[in-house]
Amino acid sequence: MHFTRFSIAAAALIALAACAPPGPSTGSEANATGPIKIANVNAQSGQLSSLGQWEHKGVKLAIEEVNKAGGVNGRQIKLDLFDSQGDPTVGTNVARKIAAEGYIAMLGTAESAVTLAMAPILKDAKIPNITSGQSPKLAELKSPFLFLNAPTSVTFDETLAKYLVDDKGHKKIALISNNGAYGSGEHDAFLASLKSRNVTPLADEVVTPDQKDFNANLAKIREQDPEVLFIGAEEVQSGLIAKQARELGIKAVFAGGAPVGTDVYATTAGLENAEGTVVSSPYLSNEASPEIKEFAAKYKAAYNEEARMHVAKAYDGASIMIEALKQTNGEGGQKLADAIRGVKRAGLLGTYNYDANGVGIHETKIGLVKDGKVVPEAAS
Amino acid sequence: MQVFLQTLIGGVTFGAVYALVAMGFSIVYRTMGLVNFAHGSVVMIGAYAASTFYMASKLPFAVAIIVAIVVTALIGLVIERFLRPLENKDFTLMLIGTIGFGAVLEAGAVLVWGATGHAVPSPVATGPIDLAGIRIPTYSLLVIAVAAAATGLLALFLQRTKRGAAMQAVAMDHQAATAVGIHVGRSNAMAFAIGAGLAALAGSLVGPMLYVNPTMGGTLGIKGFAAAMLGGFGSMPGAIVGGLVFGLLDSFAAGNFQEYSELVTFLVFAVIVMIRPTGIFGEATVNRA
Repeated sequence: MHFTRFSIAAAALIALAACAPPGPSTGSEANATGPIKIANVNAQSGQLSSLGQWEHKGVKLAIEEVNKAGGVNGRQIKLDLFDSQGDPTVGTNVARKIAAEGYIAMLGTAESAVTLAMAPILKDAKIPNITSGQSPKLAELKSPFLFLNAPTSVTFDETLAKYLVDDKGHKKIALISNNGAYGSGEHDAFLASLKSRNVTPLADEVVTPDQKDFNANLAKIREQDPEVLFIGAEEVQSGLIAKQARELGIKAVFAGGAPVGTDVYATTAGLENAEGTVVSSPYLSNEASPEIKEFAAKYKAAYNEEARMHVAKAYDGASIMIEALKQTNGEGGQKLADAIRGVKRAGLLGTYNYDANGVGIHETKIGLVKDGKVVPEAAS
Repeated sequence: MQVFLQTLIGGVTFGAVYALVAMGFSIVYRTMGLVNFAHGSVVMIGAYAASTFYMASKLPFAVAIIVAIVVTALIGLVIERFLRPLENKDFTLMLIGTIGFGAVLEAGAVLVWGATGHAVPSPVATGPIDLAGIRIPTYSLLVIAVAAAATGLLALFLQRTKRGAAMQAVAMDHQAATAVGIHVGRSNAMAFAIGAGLAALAGSLVGPMLYVNPTMGGTLGIKGFAAAMLGGFGSMPGAIVGGLVFGLLDSFAAGNFQEYSELVTFLVFAVIVMIRPTGIFGEATVNRA
């Protein structure tokens, strides 16, 4: 009796093993014909979800285009969206999940902190990742599997400092930034750019990413009467800082990176308060070039909303990924990473030319906020 | 001196909001002995409801706030109705139930309003008042005035009306209250509705100061909870003092300790609670756990 039960169990086990997922040898064979699995990780909930949704739509647009045109060498791309909630802890869980479920590449996230947390896991799993984060720390990782689809804060802030100090002759500059991954990257990069020009900031206030009341910090800044207030924080917080600064009677020109070029910043601050903000960004307007115009029209047709930098950035990243996949014939790992590094592409944000640290673009332009929209500085 | 006074103004404004949130926590706690963990999410729903009626339906801000209070009061009644079968049976399940409601409300907000959130224009057009270099935003004055008025009304209700007295009685001894014919369930429902209404008031007022989005209840909920603890959980004057103290603590820590402000705020909070576990105005009368 015992024996029969044992043999049934054994037979069941053998049958189960036969149905088990195939090992690596058979797996690659199956992968070479089926759809190519790519993970898109971005915040779909939480304070940073507006970014995450733009990024997702940009990626989706590029992938749908290539799928409609016949896919990558005849194979369709299967894009799956994961919500990182803008939270590094959630991000690491997602990283393990996409490594376990056989995704060969990842697009996103928009947040440096989340990307930083995910990077070691993706590196171990040899999953190339094109991120929209821009903290200099991402480049410092020197992970061969991590690529940025925009410049780092160093480039953003160098351009800004050059414009403010060299071109406009401002010397009375104050800083306010948060100590999150993005904010501290901005803070360090802008401070370094000022130092190289022998400018010492009048005030250097650091806040926390959750802070809502900046009266104390801004009152100190107001005492110094700066000409320029550099804001190193994400969209919503930058908007709150700008609003409270104007309420306190600070007349300084606001300046910052990509976040202050968004409508979330402008509406949070109030359009009047945001007017004249100096933005450093590789993507200033939807009318900048015929290619960008065409892209903006395509995006508007697909989602019935205006395109913006984050959409274009994600679209560029996905396009680079597609180009690399075509070269590797859908294969991932080291080969895909090498292919991405080799892509030279005239994208919407500029010309991509990857360096050893995974940074693709090395310059930004200056724009000014007018009526809640960014216009190129030269045209204003 | 200017920096000090300006910091004070920011602290008092946010303190007034924290006080409202803390009062909502406290009124439910003092009648039911229960911490309503969904409270932060109700604040968020209140902010969404008020801002939506204000911006989309073009209702005057004051009317939008009243509509928001009605909406959240109904949500409060629903939460209480769901928890009522567990009253006096399983306290832990009730607590978990409130946490669950919080998650449901957050998910509901994402469904209704989307995940991105929106900025709310200030309903007060006039610029800040300038007092010898100290700038007081007119909207801050409005927030402080409304919070003070709501506090006054609540105190009148609790002390001068029959229903208020009944709620106090249930808080002190719900068995004795039942014996003298007070409907405990109704009293609890009222507490939940008032708590949710206070949350909506806090949320509506804070909307134009912040950015309304589905996760905004998290920070406000924690700060309001800490404020209630600081003042003495269950005590109404405690909630007000706790809210103001927490707002000021937050504000002055931000000015003096920069990136360590949050750490300092909660360290000071922890030390105060260690010295006075019942909070500033705490009495150990309510304990139905």
